[in-house]
Amino acid sequence: MDVKIQTEPFDARFPNVNQTKRCWQNYYDYSKCVAAKGEEFAPCRRFMKAYMTLCPNEWIEKWDVQKDEAVAKMRFHFETATTSKAGPRKGMIMINRGVQGKLQVDTPSFLKYTRHGMQPHLVPEVATGINTLPPITRIQIEDFLDERDLEKRSFKSLREFARLGEDMVVLDTLDPTIIARTARSAEKHMGIDSEGGVRRLVPTAFAQAVNQLDPDVVVAPADFVHDAQPSLTQGKRISKSVARSIRWLDDMLAGVAHAAVLAPVMGSLSPELRAASVQALSTRSNIAGYVFSDVALAPSDRLWALQQSLPQLDATKLRCMAGASAPDMALRAVLNGVDLVDSSYAYAVTEQGWASAYTLKGADMPAHVDLWAKSMADDFGPLVAGCTCTTCSTHSRAYVHHLLNAHEMLATVLLQAHNLYWYQHFFVQIRQSLSCGSLAEDAAAFFEHYGPSAFEELDRVAEQTCSPTTKVQHQRHA
Amino acid sequence: SPALKFEVLAKCSTTKARASRMHLPHYTAHTPMFMPVGTMGTIKGITPGQLETLDCHVILGNTYHLGSQPGPELLEKAGGLHKFMAWDRGLLTDSGGFQMVSLLKLANITEEGVEFENPHNGKMMMLTPEMSIGLQNSIGADIMMQLDDVVSSLTTGPRVEEAMWRSLRWLDRGIKAHKRPSEQNLFPIVQGGLDERLRTISAQELIKRESPGYAIGGLSGGEAKGSFWRMVNLSTDILPTNKPRYCMGVGYAEDLVVCSALGVDMYDCVFPTRTARFGNALVRTGSLALRQGKYRDDFTPIDSECDCSTCKQFTRAYLYTSVTKETTNCHLITVHNIAFQMRLMRDIRTAIVEDRYPQFIRSFMKTRFGKTVPRWIVDALQSVNVDLTVPDETGYFASAIDSDFQKEPNV
Ligand SMILES: [Zn+2]
Ligand SMILES: [Zn+2]
Repeated sequence: MDVKIQTEPFDARFPNVNQTKRCWQNYYDYSKCVAAKGEEFAPCRRFMKAYMTLCPNEWIEKWDVQKDEAVAKMRFHFETATTSKAGPRKGMIMINRGVQGKLQVDTPSFLKYTRHGMQPHLVPEVATGINTLPPITRIQIEDFLDERDLEKRSFKSLREFARLGEDMVVLDTLDPTIIARTARSAEKHMGIDSEGGVRRLVPTAFAQAVNQLDPDVVVAPADFVHDAQPSLTQGKRISKSVARSIRWLDDMLAGVAHAAVLAPVMGSLSPELRAASVQALSTRSNIAGYVFSDVALAPSDRLWALQQSLPQLDATKLRCMAGASAPDMALRAVLNGVDLVDSSYAYAVTEQGWASAYTLKGADMPAHVDLWAKSMADDFGPLVAGCTCTTCSTHSRAYVHHLLNAHEMLATVLLQAHNLYWYQHFFVQIRQSLSCGSLAEDAAAFFEHYGPSAFEELDRVAEQTCSPTTKVQHQRHA
Repeated sequence: SPALKFEVLAKCSTTKARASRMHLPHYTAHTPMFMPVGTMGTIKGITPGQLETLDCHVILGNTYHLGSQPGPELLEKAGGLHKFMAWDRGLLTDSGGFQMVSLLKLANITEEGVEFENPHNGKMMMLTPEMSIGLQNSIGADIMMQLDDVVSSLTTGPRVEEAMWRSLRWLDRGIKAHKRPSEQNLFPIVQGGLDERLRTISAQELIKRESPGYAIGGLSGGEAKGSFWRMVNLSTDILPTNKPRYCMGVGYAEDLVVCSALGVDMYDCVFPTRTARFGNALVRTGSLALRQGKYRDDFTPIDSECDCSTCKQFTRAYLYTSVTKETTNCHLITVHNIAFQMRLMRDIRTAIVEDRYPQFIRSFMKTRFGKTVPRWIVDALQSVNVDLTVPDETGYFASAIDSDFQKEPNV
């Protein structure tokens, strides 16, 4: 390539912006231009000329390599044998990291929910003691936005930073357990609440950060409509949200070098706008899958939205759902054809001071055991009889009951180890039942046995500000 | 004693330091050792398995807290605290007296015992030496402490002498009440405030009781460090060399190094685990407040020489990100701080065994304080033949400063 090094002429788009940002913007614009019009299209060369002068050579080389590797290695791959548009299905996610080897997750399954990149209550050496967890972790970028906007933080890769080992890393924007939000989005950015005020997530800058953070999969930012209440302007608002989300998705597709991109399916409670969102997604072939993130809606509305859109999507692609972590919701999502939910429910059970006991087929089991109950005080048996988790094989109900009463943090550590183990076991049962062709039948018996309000821990967590081990009496769950 | 065998493995040829093995009913501990405090039968979010990995030999339980929750009946039903908390190494319990006097407003000491108001129902209750031992027998720790008449280390006058003699009488009542001498050890406590004469009488009286080990109490209560080390030194001079010596409530790194030179074998302190909750990580130069902005982009571990699971994996930048927001992140620092204490004690033991403890002390002080060292440390070390003010073979020496504490090394 014969490009003369010269002072870059004044660019009216960036009167005061520093060199770095302009370098990236031009590289990004070139990629986007080429993707849309092809390498032969002359106007694209204007961007190339600009970034060649603005960017250090090492950067260009690094970005070019990342783009090539992505194509060569096919890092992310999803496969399902089912061809039907909707209904439960088995599948397999594979990540190929070349020399580091391959990872496989059998679906239906879940993403391990994290807070600040760590499993709730569990430091890595305790978390790895829980066998057979799927090797796939969910991180939300909002946990890392406090005090500074994203582009002002110098991160290493997320895997390195949060010590995620060999796990597949899925980077989303928002924490699925938080329902009430105040930050609003605007034309050019997604607004995210943080302790340091509202942060602006600009999709093009986020795409640049993603290339640094290096997740295997990234969920595109979207303009979520947070108010569940219908209003006079709702139709207009949702229509805007669909249009913005598609634009932001395109920014991500153009700017993300080698992570697989998942696209949020938008449209809230409007059938027409849901169809429009799906229609727009159907023309973007380079997305790796879909995400349903209608966490602000009531559970029944979330399912309605899922059922509206899912059958119209490309059935060969991965389908994830946020806000479907509770066992009954997860089961309904799976019955509709969702491949992945997240494990935030296990955390919500722990926050109540409870131990999960539900099973897909064990109709005599309660949904949970309340470790606060007085009867636990001198019960030296395991949290749940027959459980083989690290907590149940070492510690008693009486000990955990004592720890809760003493507001000791080991209570939530031991409960979380049990609840997460229990959650993954539920998914083992779902996959087995699906293989045997008995899932519809088993699910019907499950809903019958547990009823409609057996799994409301996530709703409690949404309203509860403190953990059960907090010393503040009135904020504790009684 | 049937429940404790103390083997001195090596004696420092310069100072009074020694490295020993202490065979307890549940575990053989290596001394000098630090014992993390697990007030309620648990150490701040750390599992018993992690504590073993961290090389903890003995941990502490607080009798006052355990006596009210889960209570002695339940602990007996569970088969003791070891079984209840699934910890099969050493345990030590205090008498409960100190907690009462320090935590409760209405504590009144009589010859019978400590009278106090039950915070749960407002009724007046009494903790006698017999009851303290009874509670500790139910808890079942390897080492129990006598109930003593606690006075603040800042108290002066006849009250100090009264407390010293009363503690002796309470010890004799405790020994009589002890029901499990073949499974549990009862340690008496040297008292006498900051008065050399009273301390001497106390220590001399205690050794007549032929106890399995002895504690040095009534210190670490805000007294001048110059008095602190002199009281420790005086006590270890009198206490027998073939029994373990436990200095209560001591846990700062420099205190551990100095007191070990004075011949102390055991320590406990809430400081390392408590300070972790506030995001402070211990290092040989002092401590790092990881919530400070300067660690935002610091991609090095807390301590590159530390082999704990936190330092092997996480950077200061990561810990900064969530240290004040997630309890899980505090667990990471708690793990490091316990590992820090344990590694320091291992280094002390190794240096004693290899008879290079004076050199270890000097290199520790050089790292921790640099060119100036608090005077009490200079004086304490001089009393055991280590003179920091004279250059060693590496050329290091320090001058004394008149402050008891020095936060950062003076380089
Ligand atoms: Zn279990
Ligand atoms: Zn460490």
